[in-house]
Amino acid sequence: MTSFHYLALSALLLCLIGLSYHFVRLIRLGAPKDFSRPRGKPASAIAYSFLGAMSPAKKESAYLHLPTYTAGLLYHAGTFAAIILFFPLFLHARLDGWLRGILVGILMLSGLSGVGILIKRIAVKKLRFLSNLDDYVSNVLVTFLHFLTLAALVAEVVAPLYFLCVSILLLYLPFGKLKHALYFFAARYQLGLFYGRRGIWPLRKT
Amino acid sequence: MSHLSEEQEKALKILSELKDSQLLSHLNSCVHCGLCAESCMYYLATNDERFVPAVKVALVSSIYQRYCSFTGRSFPQLVNARELDDATQNEMVDLLFGSCTLCGRCTMHCSIGVDITYVTKVGRSMLAAMGLVPATLQSTVNAALQTGNNMAIPTDDFISTISWLEDELRDEVNDPQASIPLNQAGANVLYTLNPREPKFFPLSISAMAKIFYAAKESWTLSTHMYDVTNYAYFSCNFEEAALIAQRLYAEVENLQARRCVLAECGHGSRAFRWEAPNYLQHPFSFDVLTSVELLAEYIRDGRIRLDKEKNREIVTLHDPCNLVREGGIIDEQRYVLSHAATTLIEMTPHGVDNFCCGGGGGQLAMSEYGDRRMKIAELKADQIRRTGASTVVTPCHNCVDQLMQINNKFKLDVNIKTLGEIVADALVLE
Ligand code: SF4
Ligand code: SF4
Repeated sequence: MTSFHYLALSALLLCLIGLSYHFVRLIRLGAPKDFSRPRGKPASAIAYSFLGAMSPAKKESAYLHLPTYTAGLLYHAGTFAAIILFFPLFLHARLDGWLRGILVGILMLSGLSGVGILIKRIAVKKLRFLSNLDDYVSNVLVTFLHFLTLAALVAEVVAPLYFLCVSILLLYLPFGKLKHALYFFAARYQLGLFYGRRGIWPLRKT
Repeated sequence: MSHLSEEQEKALKILSELKDSQLLSHLNSCVHCGLCAESCMYYLATNDERFVPAVKVALVSSIYQRYCSFTGRSFPQLVNARELDDATQNEMVDLLFGSCTLCGRCTMHCSIGVDITYVTKVGRSMLAAMGLVPATLQSTVNAALQTGNNMAIPTDDFISTISWLEDELRDEVNDPQASIPLNQAGANVLYTLNPREPKFFPLSISAMAKIFYAAKESWTLSTHMYDVTNYAYFSCNFEEAALIAQRLYAEVENLQARRCVLAECGHGSRAFRWEAPNYLQHPFSFDVLTSVELLAEYIRDGRIRLDKEKNREIVTLHDPCNLVREGGIIDEQRYVLSHAATTLIEMTPHGVDNFCCGGGGGQLAMSEYGDRRMKIAELKADQIRRTGASTVVTPCHNCVDQLMQINNKFKLDVNIKTLGEIVADALVLE
């Protein structure tokens, strides 16, 4: 293990502690207590919130913005791939052949999607207005992670830079907008609860 | 950190003393993708980036970050953390009160699932704690608190209007026994009204009275508390909202009604059906339902008979946001209309995806934002125009008011009716 390995491992530990703090806080606060008489089935609405309601056909944010939506999907796919790849890269496990080819392809596409999303954020007036420094930092860090994971897959020599990037990202995650990785689940749960109790979700045809 | 007044401290407590995880979940979820912009009438009508729904979340979040989060306190520039100063407060009033109908459309279409409407209401409640509710909206709340109804109608005037309507009903149904009961204890239904009805649209009371008569319903109005509205729901002063809700709750209990039927009023229905048990912190022992559900029930159970040939014009339906997207009454009004009119042409979009009339969220009461309200209403005018309908039906008196103004301004030349009115027109009296 090099010092970069130790750095990444410590960052991972601190990140997990930070995320646990957020998680425990969410659990301790709990869902809102609702005294109204339910009209629908909250449990099926919560399931719908994570499944059916996420379909691009159900959300204007998806079907009115298909290129951005697709870039977002690719970006997140690349992020998941990069997270999983941290472990084989950490353990020096070699990935060869077609699997490496596919992963390189995914990371190239997701990295480019990240660049595209960043350009859009800078170029579109309403997005510039909405954005803060955290949005740019988070985007740059994650996009770097995609490209550096890709590079580390094909050339071991970039490993130190890769572990440095991973460490910064892990340390940053519990503080900036990247923590939506955790809060996303809480928000969708709450929304399912809200629409479910009132019999709005799961949506039915009118 | 600048010195904070007592009111500001109170407002900040709303952010710091959390009762559950709702606020935390939604404030920390927004990724600033901006994809909610095109779901909001304000942005669509103006193309103004201030009106992107997420900007409202960002504004409340910036204050939360400044006072309640480690990141915001330590690195304010990173997350755009803001002091709760005059500039922030003015921006909050303009964005959270002046440019949101609380329609919930952005929430349903958000890419993540951020409850933008809820966060906006939290922001409004902070403004309420600082005494910064627009004076026009607050005066409507005050009228309800002081007189028992938001239009400050004196009880004697109300009683004489009802007595006149009762005479009309007797003539119309040709039955001297027909009545509009007042303060009858033990009735099956305590029916509520939007004060706009006795004040401006008494014929909608006649319509419902005729329907109750046809259904042989045991019902009553209360002279003490008949107001279905709760404008404190819009001002987000939840103590005042609870006071108003408590009055109606107490009156249902006092008159020992089995069911409280809420008149055609989107926010009023929401405020009493869904919010009031939480304002009052206990479940209700009686049934609370909207008149839309009751009408559907009467038709389904054969308690009233309708002849849809009596309404042969092309009808379109406007879905009140609080009743439909936020209240789950989606199919009932369509079922009723399928029995009461020959031709229903839906707007695009409709149902849970409907656009607000523009008058929700207290906008109708806040005359200072009237120009903005009518600007965004153009979208609704276009929707109506495209249906080719000559009658617009909507189960909400606030929507009726806004639709009438839209009708005038955009020269649509349509009739605006409540659901009760079109049902009453189609009634077949045995
Ligand atoms: S769509 Fe949702 S996540 Fe995206 S900016 Fe709007 S509120 Fe935030
Ligand atoms: S609730 Fe409606 S009016 Fe308010 S921001 Fe969302 S879409 Fe716009």
